[in-house]
Amino acid sequence: MGQMVSTELPPLVQEQSVLELSDFDEVVRLYRPRIFRFVMASLGDRDLAETLTQDCFLKAYMARGQFRGESSLSTWLTRIALNLIRDHLRNRRMRFWHKTRDSSVDLVDISDWIPDTAASAETACLQRERVKQVWKTVDELSGQQRTVFLLRFVEELELSEIAETTGMNTSTVKSHLYRALRIVRERAGGQA
Amino acid sequence: MKWKDQNTEPSGEFAAAIRDFRAAVTHVAARETARPMAADWLAPAMKRRKSHQHRMVLAWACAAALCFATVPFAIMPLTTHSGSAPVRVALQAPASAPVAQHSEAERGLLQQVDEQVSESVPSSLAPLEEMENMNTASATGPSDPFVNGAALAQLGSTDASH
Repeated sequence: MGQMVSTELPPLVQEQSVLELSDFDEVVRLYRPRIFRFVMASLGDRDLAETLTQDCFLKAYMARGQFRGESSLSTWLTRIALNLIRDHLRNRRMRFWHKTRDSSVDLVDISDWIPDTAASAETACLQRERVKQVWKTVDELSGQQRTVFLLRFVEELELSEIAETTGMNTSTVKSHLYRALRIVRERAGGQA
Repeated sequence: MKWKDQNTEPSGEFAAAIRDFRAAVTHVAARETARPMAADWLAPAMKRRKSHQHRMVLAWACAAALCFATVPFAIMPLTTHSGSAPVRVALQAPASAPVAQHSEAERGLLQQVDEQVSESVPSSLAPLEEMENMNTASATGPSDPFVNGAALAQLGSTDASH
């Protein structure tokens, strides 16, 4: 059932967050888990997340000359990943006959992991159900709502950073976030 | 969290649910990316990029070939029409002027004939006119029994007088 695994990815210190793109291996090592997490949470598919993560870093490597440091490296990479996700969803709509989600993340797989191992069996079961319900509801959100929700509550970005990443203005971000939260609260409310 | 808002900041059990969700997603991501990266980790992405570029080139080449193949067919009716249209115009434009001239000349001639025909017959020629009328009536044939009967009677009387 529960596993004693850290719930956090290694924190980025200031020097790392403004890391120069010259040491690209280091950039990949530091940011790959975050990009993978965001893509996987957005698409719910491990293999696809790995593919898009690779594409994201290749794109970043090819366009490294265009990175001027106006935004943080994390924001820049997330923006590339977001564009790849949008492209993928657009292509998937065009190729609707293709079977999708061959390697979708198993809800049980996700909800099997409960951070608080000291919880009773009943509490752990409730937590599992709660996570499963939130995951399912997030998956049903519209593209923009899901993106904003994940950037806010999984990537823990500030509103201004979400606006910068998605290209929306702050009030639009706020509006999407409000709606997403309302939907998740309503649908997963029974469990949450 | 620096940003706080009543409507966009979950609280209580709902916040706990979202925290658990984040922890679960982070756990799966960490597990999936924990495996050591191969040196050619980006090789599949490069291969995909190249094949995508090839597909794009092929798609554009096909589109261009299709355009080149369809453009002559699309232009052909235009060229045929554009070739005949000036001829028609050329034929019609000069023809309209003589027609107008002809109609004017004809109108003049007809008017002249009308005037001549409608001239009053002099009294000295009145019997000739009557003869002419009779001839015209006989020429119409036996279909008009009244005219024919009168003409025959008149002819009979003239013969008898001789």
